[in-house]
Amino acid sequence: MASIAVEGVTKSFRGGTLGLDDITFRYEGTGAIGCLGPNGAGKTTTLKLLVGLLRPTKGHAYLNGFDPMVNRKAALWDVGAVIETPEPYPTLTIFDTLRTVGLVRGLSDEGIDSEIDRAHDLLDLPPLGSRVGTLSKGQRQRVVLASALMGDPSVLLLDEPTSGLDPAERVLVRGLLSRLKRDHLLFLSSHQMLEVSEICDEVVVLHRGRVLVKDRMDRLTGRIRSRELVVEFDRPVAPGSFDALTPLGAEVETLTDRRCRIRFSGDDSARARLLDACRTIAPVSQFSNATIVLEEAYLDAITSASKGT
Amino acid sequence: MTEPPPSPVSSAVPIDPAPSLGHRTVVRHSVGEFSQWLTVTRHQLAHYVRTYRFLGLLGFVVLVSGLTVGLQLVAGVEATRIAALERTSEYETNFLEFTGLWIALSAALFAGDALSVDFSTGAGYHMLVLPVRRTTLLVGRYTAALIVTMAIVSAYYTFCIVGASYFFGSAVFEWVSTGVSLLIAALFALAALAIAFSISAFFRSPAAGVVVTLLTIYVGFSALQGVLELAGYEPWFFLTYAAGAITTVTDRDFAHFQRIPLGPGQYATLWQADFMEAVVVMIAYLVVFFVLSAFLYERQESMG
Repeated sequence: MASIAVEGVTKSFRGGTLGLDDITFRYEGTGAIGCLGPNGAGKTTTLKLLVGLLRPTKGHAYLNGFDPMVNRKAALWDVGAVIETPEPYPTLTIFDTLRTVGLVRGLSDEGIDSEIDRAHDLLDLPPLGSRVGTLSKGQRQRVVLASALMGDPSVLLLDEPTSGLDPAERVLVRGLLSRLKRDHLLFLSSHQMLEVSEICDEVVVLHRGRVLVKDRMDRLTGRIRSRELVVEFDRPVAPGSFDALTPLGAEVETLTDRRCRIRFSGDDSARARLLDACRTIAPVSQFSNATIVLEEAYLDAITSASKGT
Repeated sequence: MTEPPPSPVSSAVPIDPAPSLGHRTVVRHSVGEFSQWLTVTRHQLAHYVRTYRFLGLLGFVVLVSGLTVGLQLVAGVEATRIAALERTSEYETNFLEFTGLWIALSAALFAGDALSVDFSTGAGYHMLVLPVRRTTLLVGRYTAALIVTMAIVSAYYTFCIVGASYFFGSAVFEWVSTGVSLLIAALFALAALAIAFSISAFFRSPAAGVVVTLLTIYVGFSALQGVLELAGYEPWFFLTYAAGAITTVTDRDFAHFQRIPLGPGQYATLWQADFMEAVVVMIAYLVVFFVLSAFLYERQESMG
């Protein structure tokens, strides 16, 4: 079973800077874990420790049960990783680059061709004969994602997987990750709340090298009592119609004749009641709230931690 | 439609409409170190031969060698033979004088940043996250650097062989001593590359690795060797001293030790490495610096 584990890991850098301070977590099976935190919180350091790019000062990291500091090859055998900004040799073609990864991961020639075809389809790669050095940033990012997917590893470690991508590419990659998490274990760091709330089932919030929050996405967002909903109706609505929401403890702000922002206190059932009430006003074409809730939960955790220290 | 089994990390609340990519069977075989070494070597070689460094250095060596033979042709067969004391061996000894320089340049350009790129650019984030031991990566890159270095040296030797055969006739060409010279050149390349890989594993800056390698191998060793000789000590432990055997094995006038009178009571002392001495010194450099580079590379961390 795919697994990621960090046990009591501390990482000190030269000069005494503490990158990570005794962090512990463990995930196994399938699903997606989002690693959040402000700049310098230790997200990338955690990923680097997992793949053996950094050596823990104390503690151990394990990938599929193997410590990369002890047996790098076994630890990384069933792992695809995109950390920081990987730069395959610019002189080589996309095909050469992916073929090398395939061979190192134990794929046969047929297997490599099949995996490259799949990656080409999933990620809309540029022509395989293109040299990596001639690709745009977004194209190169898709190539390194393809490289991480070669051989279908069960664990994927992704550091800001959509950074450098244009909006269309982001949608493509987010869609792919949402599908991959069904039968892979994804661990991704990101600053994009929308990305994390869309993809992840669990969240780890790091702050100053420590695990601040580690919880399921729904429980984390459920802690936030103050919430917002943006509702869009499929036809214009008279402003007075929103009076029906006031008894439910909601404040309504009209955005357009079809859209409004609703602020309320409560949990998911309160949100459901509000949505039901909205539907009595007019058919609801769409609504959104996840981003703001995760963002609020995140900011709430960070702010509380900062006040506490 | 059957729901996928609940995952240990999945939440009950988020409704994700994205379907799975489907269960796939991807057959992966266990890969031995030898197979990965071949893969890494091919990968690195494919990179090297497409770089301006390789094409530029090869072009430069071909240009210098071609000009040498071309100017000898202009001077005429007789003049060239006289300049070489009417001996093929002398011609070869003189011609191959730059072998050490080409190897030092190759070591600097192909190995001086071969490992530091992993920690100063994003190359490491691509290669070091693959299931391959760093030692295997090092050996693969080392092999590729050796191949391109020897390709350049071979081009140089080819011009020497063509020139010697033209001016002295192929019948008198000294194939054995040339072969031995090439063998020593290969050993020198192995040792120089090992030093360059150590420097590359130590420095984070690729440019610093290239410059320091060149300064160490071609300038530092030669300068210290000259000072020691001037002081009357045999500089047997210098790599450049051992590399002298590349040309001395083709030299019929070889003398291990010479004392050249400079004036009343003054002498310049000169030592030249013989074949065995050169081989032993070069192998020692190879072993020590290869182990050092493997140790340093294994311990290096990606801080940036």
